[in-house]
Amino acid sequence: MLSRSAEGLYWLGRYLERAQHLSRLLRIQTEALVDRPVTEIHFGWLRLYGCLNRQPPVGSLELLAQDDYSLADSYTLADDLTFEPTNPDSVWSGVAAARENARHVRHCLSAEMWTCLNRSYLRIQGLTIQDIWASSPERFYAETVAEIDTFAGVTAATMYRDEGWRFLNLGRSIERVQLSSALLDAQIAAANVTQDVSEAAWTSLLRLYHALEAYDRTFSLQVEPRQVLDLLATDARLPDSLSRSLDMLSAELAATAPSPSQQAAGAAQRLIGRMSALVNFAWLDRDDPRSLLQRLNAHGRELHDLVTETYFQYPVHDAPVR
Amino acid sequence: MDLDNYELDADVYDEMFQANGSPRAHYQGVHRALTDTSAADLADIQDQVTGSFSSEGISFKVYGDEEGDERIIPVDCLPRVLSGGEWRELEAGLTQRLMALNLFLADVYGAARIVEDGVIPVDVVRGCPQYRIEMRGFQAPHGVWVAICGTDLVRTNEGFKVLEDNLRVPSGVAYMLANRKAVKASFRRLYRSSRVQDIEHYGRVLLTTLQELAPEGTSDPAIAVLTPGVYNSAFYEHMFLAREIGAELVEGRDLLVDDGVVYMRTTAGLRRVDVVYRRVDDDFLDPVVFREDSLLGIPGIMHAYKQGNVTLANAPGTGVADDKSVYAYVPDMIRYYLAEKPIIANVETYLCRNPDGLEYTLDNLQNLVVKRVGESGGYGMLIGPHASPAERAAYAEQVRANPADFISQPVLALSRAPCLIDGRIEPRHVDLRPFVLSGLETRIVPGAFCRVALRRGSLVVNSSQGGGGKDLWVLEN
Repeated sequence: MLSRSAEGLYWLGRYLERAQHLSRLLRIQTEALVDRPVTEIHFGWLRLYGCLNRQPPVGSLELLAQDDYSLADSYTLADDLTFEPTNPDSVWSGVAAARENARHVRHCLSAEMWTCLNRSYLRIQGLTIQDIWASSPERFYAETVAEIDTFAGVTAATMYRDEGWRFLNLGRSIERVQLSSALLDAQIAAANVTQDVSEAAWTSLLRLYHALEAYDRTFSLQVEPRQVLDLLATDARLPDSLSRSLDMLSAELAATAPSPSQQAAGAAQRLIGRMSALVNFAWLDRDDPRSLLQRLNAHGRELHDLVTETYFQYPVHDAPVR
Repeated sequence: MDLDNYELDADVYDEMFQANGSPRAHYQGVHRALTDTSAADLADIQDQVTGSFSSEGISFKVYGDEEGDERIIPVDCLPRVLSGGEWRELEAGLTQRLMALNLFLADVYGAARIVEDGVIPVDVVRGCPQYRIEMRGFQAPHGVWVAICGTDLVRTNEGFKVLEDNLRVPSGVAYMLANRKAVKASFRRLYRSSRVQDIEHYGRVLLTTLQELAPEGTSDPAIAVLTPGVYNSAFYEHMFLAREIGAELVEGRDLLVDDGVVYMRTTAGLRRVDVVYRRVDDDFLDPVVFREDSLLGIPGIMHAYKQGNVTLANAPGTGVADDKSVYAYVPDMIRYYLAEKPIIANVETYLCRNPDGLEYTLDNLQNLVVKRVGESGGYGMLIGPHASPAERAAYAEQVRANPADFISQPVLALSRAPCLIDGRIEPRHVDLRPFVLSGLETRIVPGAFCRVALRRGSLVVNSSQGGGGKDLWVLEN
């Protein structure tokens, strides 16, 4: 497959995963606005901005500490994370970037995939924060999440399992590892700076990963932060756990057709091996989970660079001819 | 819906109605359907058609337009209908014309007999900026310089005429197919009962044509569609065609030439390319040969082409044959190369490079359309009767300064077809662009991109200037 097309699909996967992840977080956060105490709402915003490694609009988080402002400023923050076009991490930017990549590689997608994605894009194009805030912002985020799930389903049902499929999934899995490692790190960081973190802050994390029932079954109804982290990192049965995302990543890379350089492909596989070892073995040693998550994230960036150099932008002078 | 107020004009050919006000035989099905369908239902159909364009993202770009970088092309839901007999005549005429044009190209880059024999003045050919000196002595595979041609046809009370031959990178075929898909889905019963000829095999025909033109000895040629990129106005079409024919969609940066062979960069290494269906202009093909400042081009691709290692469709240099001055000589070419009478007429054309033509043009400016030889897309032209005296005077100055850059033609009363405008059925001026493919034989799918000037009274059908599209139905008999 043409390198540039593969790269477009890879980024399509990454951007959609990003937009969905943020929508899931915002859905839980806007639900919390209805009935949760201010400290918890404050925690939620710290976690959100922490995992994006982004500064909130000036002053908004300080004001939030006062009850009167919590709703008013949540509006500013939600707008910043949802519709702000200059914020490259906003939901709008993610969907727009995914759609722009899809437009470049539309001939590699099934017609159904394009229609599905283009409709989501047209819907979000026509909305502003006022439109969604008036009634139920959490419904907007739930719909966005569902649309991206639908895209994944349509993709699974209609896309030819060629290399394009591999690179689309490769992008999704890498992004998922990056998002999860950043989010768990941000969760611990936010928990460290917030006084009286309630159990709800950890329950919401479980809900985000569709893991509440699994947690109850595996552990107990008592929510223990350490056990929550263990489950989200190491349980390979959980769709978005770190362990499972890494397994998928490894499988996608192994299934990708021969690369121009066997050496580079081997380096990528070894790197994934190191990442899996961090999650599956080092994690159990229970040393500092934040430094471990940060190492994982740094490896993820290296892996991205390796994939790019190996498949998309390799030097042509010594490349093999097929 | 009521058609009593549908306006007829004796000077303008109406596609649906005869001069006496009764519908033409091949339009009776559509006429009846329009009469029987309520205004509300027609509005629904129009919404469906427009909606399907929007959700499919069928867009184009207008150059120099800062806002809204993608626009959905306006589409009118009412089909234009041609009878099978009308089409057969057009088909014969288009085939004849493209054969002559391909012979002309082989000739002007070869022995130039047509110039030697005094049929076309030498300066019309050599003075044309689209004449590529680099192509002299080149022999295109199977004599096919133009593999894909989009001919603009108009109809007046005198019959069909060729307005323009587009022999470089003609576009619009994706709209032909998209219009059909959308309109067919909305007029289901009418479509079935009308017995319309299929056009959906266009992709297969294009693929066959490109395969036939592959370099000698390639058994399973690798084909790539070369696009300037996503910012090009016709990107949707490039993508669409790559998908239809199962080709890679490449940009210049995806290709490289090594030792006279063209390769594309794939995830598994470099892969040889045998046929390039190029949708970039000559100027941007190869910075070594054409424009040095081009960032889009592939250095060395012309060398590979001349060695016969890759086929470019269309060949570089074909612009000399669709130049607005050379156009005037196409009927002579048909007589010269084929010893046949032209089947489809040209529009009467006055070349300002000739003293007679210049004088006539300047004396009759208020009745003429004056066009710049190098421009296309409806840019840079003067429509005499619609211009103010001051505009005409200013334009005349430009013509006098560089007469060779201008040609003039009478203002044509383009035929009109029924369109749905603000909930009413009104006539609007239309043209059509069928696509003629030339490989080992000439093939035309029975359809065309039909363009319509949606503004009342306007004669300009270009999508960059308020034009839209509509489906064209060619009936079986």
